[in-house]
Amino acid sequence: MQGPSLRRDRFIQGAAAGAAAAAFGVPAFIPRRGEAADVIMIGVTEPYSGVYAAYGESETRGAQAAVDAWNKKGGVLGRQVKMAKEDEQSDPGIGVQKARKLVNQDKCVALMGTVSSAVSLSISGAANALGVPFIDSGGHTDDVTGKDCKWNTFRVCHSTWMETHATGATLAKKFGKKWYLITPDYAFGHSLSAGYRDVAQKLGATIVHEDLTPLGTTDFSPYLTKVLPAKPDVLLILPQGDDFINCVKQANQFGILKRIPAGGPQVELEAVWALPPEARVGFWGVEWYYKGASVLGNNAAGAKWVADYRKKYGTPPTARSFFGYTAMDRLLWGISEAKSTDPVKIARALEGTHFTSPLVAGTLFFRKEDHQMMWPMWTAEIRAKGTPEDKYDVFNIIDREPALAIEQTVAEKAKVCKMNYPS
Amino acid sequence: MLEHAAPELFNGLILGAFYAVVAIGLSLIMNLTGTVNMAHGSFLTLGGYLAFTLVAHGTSFWFALIIAPLLTVAVGILVERTMMVPLYRRDPVYSLLLTFGLSLIAEEAYRLIWGSRGVPFSPPADLAGGVTLGFMQFPTFRLFIVGVLAVALGLLALFLSRTRFGLRLRAAVQDTEMIAALGTNTQILYMVNFALGIFLAGLAGVLAAVMFQLSPTTGNQLLMPAFVTVIVGGMGSLYGAIAGGVLIGLAISLTTLYIPAASEVAMYVLMAIVLLVRPRGLFGEEGIFG
Amino acid sequence: MKGNLAASAIVVVLLIVAPYLAPLIHLDVSILSEVLLMAIAAMSVNLLLGYTGMLAFGNAAFFGLGAYGAGLSIKYFDVHFIVATIIGVVAAVIGALIIGPFLLRRRGIYFALLMIAFGQVFYFIAYRLTDVTGGEDGMNFPRPWFGFSAWHLQLRDQPFYFVMLAIFIAVLAAMWYLIRSPFGRTLVAIKQNELRVRYLGLNSDRFIFVALLISAAMAGLAGALYSLLIMFAFPLMLDWHQSGDFVLTVILGGAGTLWGPLVGSIVYVVGKDIISTITPAWQIFLGGLFVACVLAFPKGLLGTTLDLLARRGIRVEEEPAVVGTLESSRAK
Repeated sequence: MQGPSLRRDRFIQGAAAGAAAAAFGVPAFIPRRGEAADVIMIGVTEPYSGVYAAYGESETRGAQAAVDAWNKKGGVLGRQVKMAKEDEQSDPGIGVQKARKLVNQDKCVALMGTVSSAVSLSISGAANALGVPFIDSGGHTDDVTGKDCKWNTFRVCHSTWMETHATGATLAKKFGKKWYLITPDYAFGHSLSAGYRDVAQKLGATIVHEDLTPLGTTDFSPYLTKVLPAKPDVLLILPQGDDFINCVKQANQFGILKRIPAGGPQVELEAVWALPPEARVGFWGVEWYYKGASVLGNNAAGAKWVADYRKKYGTPPTARSFFGYTAMDRLLWGISEAKSTDPVKIARALEGTHFTSPLVAGTLFFRKEDHQMMWPMWTAEIRAKGTPEDKYDVFNIIDREPALAIEQTVAEKAKVCKMNYPS
Repeated sequence: MLEHAAPELFNGLILGAFYAVVAIGLSLIMNLTGTVNMAHGSFLTLGGYLAFTLVAHGTSFWFALIIAPLLTVAVGILVERTMMVPLYRRDPVYSLLLTFGLSLIAEEAYRLIWGSRGVPFSPPADLAGGVTLGFMQFPTFRLFIVGVLAVALGLLALFLSRTRFGLRLRAAVQDTEMIAALGTNTQILYMVNFALGIFLAGLAGVLAAVMFQLSPTTGNQLLMPAFVTVIVGGMGSLYGAIAGGVLIGLAISLTTLYIPAASEVAMYVLMAIVLLVRPRGLFGEEGIFG
Repeated sequence: MKGNLAASAIVVVLLIVAPYLAPLIHLDVSILSEVLLMAIAAMSVNLLLGYTGMLAFGNAAFFGLGAYGAGLSIKYFDVHFIVATIIGVVAAVIGALIIGPFLLRRRGIYFALLMIAFGQVFYFIAYRLTDVTGGEDGMNFPRPWFGFSAWHLQLRDQPFYFVMLAIFIAVLAAMWYLIRSPFGRTLVAIKQNELRVRYLGLNSDRFIFVALLISAAMAGLAGALYSLLIMFAFPLMLDWHQSGDFVLTVILGGAGTLWGPLVGSIVYVVGKDIISTITPAWQIFLGGLFVACVLAFPKGLLGTTLDLLARRGIRVEEEPAVVGTLESSRAK
């Protein structure tokens, strides 16, 4: 252990010591954010590392577009808007800490963001304790506008319930009422399953069989081998993320997808672009799409927004981009409308107010009773190679379901969501 | 129900073969140097990504199948010579921590290079599709996997039992000091041994990239089952790793079939039972880790 | 000895004024609370790893049991702060009582793997019981008031920190006392040569078991308080990667030293917070830290510093002579 290894040890020690010394100076390089009185700081908590990094990035790009648009019009309350971004790392604890940092240190007047449901729940709670508005742009769990609803929390993306009811209705219409479910055996899977059972009951559809797949299942063959013998009309694939990809890939390898259609609550563009061509099949819920009269309407401003985004980033905007844009845009509107950064006034301004968006045809609104944004949802068939003009254009929208048909009624929500405004 | 059991058992065997190959790689490295390679999964993933990159640049799948693991070995040797050699003589906990740190770096590096959502990787056309086995279709690629892994293991067994180098390797596991005293260059032994382990990991990685999704965490998902396989089969025994792999694969598929709620923990329960009843594992040898 | 007390006093003073200094480097006081809690969790690992020589790679199980114990009792029984914390600690100790007898049968890497295995079982249970624990979505709950019946207050971030500081100092003092006690010295003896300890007629299993229970209690305490800090509990708190974080913190600071866990925790928690603000590739720095530590600072920052001081003749009395060594004998 003499000689070269000792020298190497010393070298590493010296380098590390030097790095440590330099690290003490690092805080000097941390951009000072939020202290200027002539700026309005909005905190953005997204996953910038880890599995969801691509979604976090898309949401942030959308939010940035909103910030730029407002700043061009002169900002909000006469001040320019700035985003302070923090990586919540899909960890609920870190999300809470970052939320506190953004509000206490960066002087953010409001928060928005998140992709993972757990983080959206934890930050919703933290924002409530801190007394700032929080717009959940991308966390889907029903509880955010259900039993964990808060007066200061609003959600842009669809709830899990909306996803199942939209796609359930479409799949029943197009393919039939006998469904086979492959459900991941954890909270998210259960809520999807419950949603599909509810819509099945309402439509007179039957679930011929449901397989609960354990956590961490990479091999879906035990379930896939049972599907065809059960003779369903549709195979509903509920796992998400990498599990979704494995399941679809394997379903294809087993020849199932040639015989019956596969569908599910939701699929994201970022995920589909990463799928091998033979797995780009099926009929899935789509929360927003950058093309098509069904989604965008014939709005020239919308088309321009999409074109500008595409030019800037090289790829088309995704649903996540829409979430981020709308969350930020509505938040800034709320501040502007309330003529103040007071969270209660902002919340009151936002809830129940109908608005139009260049990016979605029709009117949208945050429901007063649960702060869920009410807007339609679409189902699309995946086009494996896109179109000749556009290899990214992989969604072929086949149906649209209006908001009020797919979300729980106000009365149903009132049983679980109790919003207590501060007196 | 029985007609479902048969294909499922077959699947279990295939999964088991996978775990066995990864476990053998782990075992080789652990036996000789005491290194608990928590980065083994990262090498697996690297094999997959390198294969993807090769194919994306126009090479054939078959070319990538051989070359990607070799490239992975190159990276592995670089890592081994610079960072692991100093730890060979120390407590295994150090190598465990070092490789754990390396796996963190690797995961992030893969994200930066290839993106966080994973990349699409498909089998070549002649391997895609299925074979009809009676009542169901079975993916050709899975049969191919079994074939490749069997060949790899067969070659490894030949190498270890029939070549002089293999003999020295096995002797070194028993008594490194003695074989060094007899004049063998132990550093070369360490290096080649590590290379063998990493080659298997890289090979498994290429195959996994097709069967599962290729993402920065693909390898890590297979790491825990591989460790469990090593424990159950027995540290120090390569045949044990195969047996362990088959056992674990079957255990997981059987519990999935009959007691789905327990399948996640099935392998951990199995491992705990083995550790308590027969800590050396089913075929393990005395002396490695006591 | 006197010098030692003075140094400790200085550290305590620094910790007291830290909340006022933290904003200067853009840190929130809640991060400081997290530093202290991670330090307690790291101390629980240190007891087993640094002093007893056991590869404690599963303390996240106890940490998580503490968090869920506290969280569930608040959510369903509406208890207040102190009761919730105690329930968390009890939950963790019960967990140790259940798995302890199994863990004791093995040593070394087998002990570590068994611990990981059991930890994963707890993790899956938390994941599974969606109706009770919220599953992978986690569990939200409000921070209950702190105090006793008539006298109580709602702890905001800064007062919360000072309560954490008081608890941390108490735990540190307990640890200090424990290490110097005959019990603690026996643990160190076990680390150095368990066989010899048994030859001397002592039942090493019993000592290790008690150490495990104490370690579980400390980890459970940290977990309960952490869940109260973030007002949330989630299954990944039980995962073995969390255990890995605790081990890194101990190694970073210096296994087998009293203040090592705090040093490691400061570097890890604060470093992660600052670096993640600057770049999303923070995991590379984390992994790099691990690697650099193992290769060049195996005794950790504090351990290496004490070593350097010792070479210059300044003996800082770290009792007993166990500074920074990770090597342990293997009796079985």
